Amino acid sequence: MSSTTINKAGNELMNAKELRADGVREQRLLLSLATPALLAVIAIIVIPVGWLFYLSFVGNDGHLSLENYQKMIEYKSYARTFVTTFQVSLLTTLLCILIGYPLAYFLAIMPARLAGFFMLAVLLPFWTSLLVRTYAWLVLLQKNGILNDFGMAAGLWDEPIKLVHNLTGTLIGMAHIMLPFLVLPLYSSMRKIERDMMHAAANLGASPIQAFWKVYFPLSISGMVAGSLIVFVLCLGFYVTPAVLGGGRVVMVATQITAILENQFNWGAASALGVVLLVATLVILFAVSKLFKLDNALFGKH
Amino acid sequence: MDSNPDSGPSQLPTALPIKIQGLTKKYGSMYALDSVDLDIKSGEFLTLLGPSGSGKTTLLMAIAGFNRPDAGSIRFGDEEMILKAPHQRGVGMVFQSYALFPHMTVAENIAFPLKLRGVAAAESAERVDTALATVQLSGLGDRDIDQLSGGQRQRVALARAFVFRPRILLMDEPLSALDKKLREQMQIELKHLHEQLGVTTVYVTHDQREALTMSDRIAVINEGKLTQVDTPHVIYNRPANAFVADFIGESTMLPLTANESGGLQFDDHLIAHDHAGDAGSEWSLVIRPERLFVIGDEVIDPEKTVVFPGVIREFVFQGDTAFALASIGEQHNLSFRFGTDSSSSQDTLHPGDSISLGLHRSDVIIIPRDRKP
Amino acid sequence: MHNSPKQAHRVRKMLLATGLTLSTALATGFAAADPITVVSWGGSYGAAQDAALFTDASKNSGIEIIRESGASMSKTCLQVESGSVTWDLVVTGSGGAASAAAKGCLEKIDYSVVDVSTFYPNLYTDYCVGSDVFATVMSWNTDKYGEPGSPGAPKSWADFWDVKKFPGTRAYRANNVDGALEPALMADGVAPEDVYKVLSTKEGMMRAINKIRELKPHIAVFWGSGAQQAQLMKDAEVDMSTGWNGRFDNAKKDGAKVGYTFNQALLDYDCFAMPKGAPNKDVAMKFLNEISKAEYQANLPFHITYGPTNQKAYEVTTASKELIEALPSHPKNVPMMLPVSLDFYAQHRTEALELYMELLSE
Repeated sequence: MSSTTINKAGNELMNAKELRADGVREQRLLLSLATPALLAVIAIIVIPVGWLFYLSFVGNDGHLSLENYQKMIEYKSYARTFVTTFQVSLLTTLLCILIGYPLAYFLAIMPARLAGFFMLAVLLPFWTSLLVRTYAWLVLLQKNGILNDFGMAAGLWDEPIKLVHNLTGTLIGMAHIMLPFLVLPLYSSMRKIERDMMHAAANLGASPIQAFWKVYFPLSISGMVAGSLIVFVLCLGFYVTPAVLGGGRVVMVATQITAILENQFNWGAASALGVVLLVATLVILFAVSKLFKLDNALFGKH
Repeated sequence: MDSNPDSGPSQLPTALPIKIQGLTKKYGSMYALDSVDLDIKSGEFLTLLGPSGSGKTTLLMAIAGFNRPDAGSIRFGDEEMILKAPHQRGVGMVFQSYALFPHMTVAENIAFPLKLRGVAAAESAERVDTALATVQLSGLGDRDIDQLSGGQRQRVALARAFVFRPRILLMDEPLSALDKKLREQMQIELKHLHEQLGVTTVYVTHDQREALTMSDRIAVINEGKLTQVDTPHVIYNRPANAFVADFIGESTMLPLTANESGGLQFDDHLIAHDHAGDAGSEWSLVIRPERLFVIGDEVIDPEKTVVFPGVIREFVFQGDTAFALASIGEQHNLSFRFGTDSSSSQDTLHPGDSISLGLHRSDVIIIPRDRKP
Repeated sequence: MHNSPKQAHRVRKMLLATGLTLSTALATGFAAADPITVVSWGGSYGAAQDAALFTDASKNSGIEIIRESGASMSKTCLQVESGSVTWDLVVTGSGGAASAAAKGCLEKIDYSVVDVSTFYPNLYTDYCVGSDVFATVMSWNTDKYGEPGSPGAPKSWADFWDVKKFPGTRAYRANNVDGALEPALMADGVAPEDVYKVLSTKEGMMRAINKIRELKPHIAVFWGSGAQQAQLMKDAEVDMSTGWNGRFDNAKKDGAKVGYTFNQALLDYDCFAMPKGAPNKDVAMKFLNEISKAEYQANLPFHITYGPTNQKAYEVTTASKELIEALPSHPKNVPMMLPVSLDFYAQHRTEALELYMELLSE
């Protein structure tokens, strides 16, 4: 007889078995609620990613081979593309932080109702198509674009400045598109910082600048890291904006995957690029999680 | 940081008096502080007591520098503080939320003000240890804040507030988040700590028992005005007005009328022989429930005791005390409270019993009648 | 994913077909069948094909068509390999068709149905039927360098590379090597007839790549599509660009200050190919025959300056002499140009692309 169904004196307990069975039943029911999500994850993540891995080891002749990976070592363009991809993603993330942090701070110290209104302005670009926004930047930034026309008419500069068809234009466009992804988590983590924290810092002798750097900033890091990760990871797979605003000079992994598919119809080679990008991303996420205690950032422990 | 109370030698005074004059703060058309004058003596434990929205927290925040009054003066000793930024005022403060920094350990939290003042690492560590010992948290310096219980957090917040030896300590309802038992224990500890540090302390609470327990003096505040500032004893036994009488302790108020000879009467009971009041002014009699006693067979001297005959309406046993309501005359009720003991027959009073209640004349409290109910 | 709206579309089209074109269908002897899906490119190219070929051919043959954009051989191969082919006829470059055919993605053309007796002999293959002849040319801003043929205007690829004589910015092909290496060799002094011989060696390819590297600091934009070529010249974003002659002509019609020369241009053709296992193979083959007729091709020059692949179109066209002489396939122009070698691309495209991508990613 199980020890949980008898008490210390050895008497059988009333309804103990039945209550335990009821508990188990309840747990199973809760578990079954997770089944649709689990199936969805298998269907939309595990299977396709597994297929991607498999394809990356299939050579052009249809047999298993490492040729797709060998090619990546053989030609320098692949390594460069990865460097460019991570560079652009990192720079975009930094730019977003540079613009987004003061913006989120501004929103966080505002009365909630006013902040809601300004937040709308931040989110507004979400409701416009990505392509339209990207081409809008092209119209603004190109050689005979609105900004150059204005600058030269106002006598600010004499020759058109090269603002687009290069890294600068790509970063401007991408930062604009990515900004809300940084601002939203950052804003919510800033809102959670109690007013008393800053009062306490000041009261203990910290000047406003000291109070910001020693108290406010460390408390907002979790939101900043969460937002930065979202921006960074989204940037890694970006295609449209670098293609339109990069002028063919900013070759990112997505661009190269397209080139391979369009010209060689080679799924294996394209998959191998995808696999390497995925693995590199996971390695970076792992490193960042070690550095910043990512679980705090992602699950908002305070 | 021009006023650095910590850098000086130890002969600096350990406490400073606070002089507040004409302090006014309006929110819209409402006065949160209405020309407040208050002198807080050096080393004194003064409690700001009042209901929520009375202005007590606004006053404390003004002293700390967290809000900008519309007018007035706040002086620490001889120094005018009204225009100084919070970090220049050098006051310690314990917040209601504790406001401990979650990204720092206990020791780092306490060392924070020392670091800002450039205290050397070795001395800082020593002072942190001393402070931890003072609040009975020795050895917990390496803990994270989220590993602490509510009471422990409260102690850390306290240690952080006094570790840099401020000459003024402010506390904003620091015990309100603790359960009753811990709160009462902490009240005593805070009182001892204050005696030990000797620092001028301004304490905000809405809990009148807490105020009575801890304070040297209580400043009762209502609607932005100080209504009475005095020792707990006086505040309780000689409330200056209906608000104080009503807000602090339990009380019953009976209307008094003046008679021809200048005495004050309730019904036909003469309460005061010759009350020095203007003819025609109105007064109330304040009776604390525990000052009433049930008269049995003993002989009563009417010169020393007022006697109210009445009928028991309600009776409630509350453990250490019992509480009863008796009607006297046509319209008035008197509540009274008395200690219980296991053999007493008094805890078996029944509604409908006739009773005589006595009040020593020394316990009679007379205040001007409040026109507003 | 595309199935249900498309099926709904088909049903609608079928109802229309039975209602509206029953008479034509009966008259021409075809039974009303499923509409076929014809896929072309966007921009002025697809619009020109609609106007000249598809609309009239559909009306006259009674074959209902569904028009889609975004033609691509990689998507075609994806449909074939995944066994869910929805396209019947797909526009492609000649090189793309050759690669797709080599991968086994294309259906063999049934020349017992498609009549190519009056075609130029080298403009159809086992797997695709030429639709138009175009040229990859060098274009320039006429405000800056003068009208074509005027003294001082650029004449050769050497001029395209000469940033001293023609200071300014350039645009060049991005992420695709087709037609990118040949101009570099010609600019480097290789005679047009020797270009593919030189390119067939790694050294030759590197010579071309190095020549492009030399120009790279002046290449402001690498273009990714015909529409972008036109836009870049229209906005005067660059001063010279490589690109397809018809796109520049249409840009000029829209007011762009752009001119180009056929001298040393690359002569190439687009064609129609059929995905292997196309759902309406037989009907599509008949439609392919219809649109290959001279009467339709004769109308193409009115919409885009691409030449017919059916010689007979020159006889039946009502286009002006001036317009006809502006076509890349006109006998007057052909000798100036270098015909693109399908053999070279079949054998060397993969390596050429890797090397070109290496240059782009520098």
